[in-house]
Amino acid sequence: MSPTIKVVQPTGLLDGSKANQVRREINECLEGGTQIVLLDLKDVTFIDSSGLGSLVSALKTVRSSGAKMLICSISDQVRILFELTSMDRVFKVYANREEFEKEMASNPEISPASKTAIEGKSARDD
Amino acid sequence: MKDSSQPPFIHRASLQVGTDLNALGQVLSWFDRFSSPSISQRIWLQCKTALAEGFTNAVRHAHKNKSSDVIIEIEVERSPNSFEIRIVDYGSPFNLEEKLKTLPEEIDLEATGGRGLKIMHSIADRLTYTRINDRQNCLLIVKYYSDEDDGCSVSKQPG
Repeated sequence: MSPTIKVVQPTGLLDGSKANQVRREINECLEGGTQIVLLDLKDVTFIDSSGLGSLVSALKTVRSSGAKMLICSISDQVRILFELTSMDRVFKVYANREEFEKEMASNPEISPASKTAIEGKSARDD
Repeated sequence: MKDSSQPPFIHRASLQVGTDLNALGQVLSWFDRFSSPSISQRIWLQCKTALAEGFTNAVRHAHKNKSSDVIIEIEVERSPNSFEIRIVDYGSPFNLEEKLKTLPEEIDLEATGGRGLKIMHSIADRLTYTRINDRQNCLLIVKYYSDEDDGCSVSKQPG
């Protein structure tokens, strides 16, 4: 069974208050049973440190509910911000949505549903 | 983005904005007038990022609990080899140098805040916060173009 994927696609300047809206949107996805949230940043022109803080906070919520949050299509400014703050070690970032979909199709490891299945199987094998 | 109403090269300008986080968009688009083909995109975006942190820091910290009419003045000067960004506020004196010393080397990767100073510190070649009179402070961010870390420092030939 394939996991439920939801795409969240904010636009413009992602400052603290805008990123909090994104966080709320992600929370709603989780409440609706989403297992993978793709944050598509292609229309985001700029992120500041408080916007970034809210994204980290969203990531923590996503993780604690057993889901995953992935990011795609970051602008040069966002890339610079992520490098400066070592976010490249925190977020999994895809070049674009195509790359994300390709990976989803070829790498079942990424899907929380099939990951549970794999772990369950290896436990039985033991 | 072309704007024919503006002269092609602006070297120095200042902007006054209120104590309002919502003014960040205005500050960032105002800064766009300083872009120039002679400055790499990377340096340009780093300066823009530092400016955003400087401005929001002034609103959040220096002008904490101040009315939104209290002015923050931003001045940018683009010289042939550096950007100088000055952000003047009406906050209390603050020892930035000491504060920078106390910042942890490795910031908690999953912290949900507290990255602003670190970001400015990493971007700037010089970062100072000075009491300029009995009411105001000035945050100075200096960035040299030549400090680029991706190795295109050879291209500064005239013509």
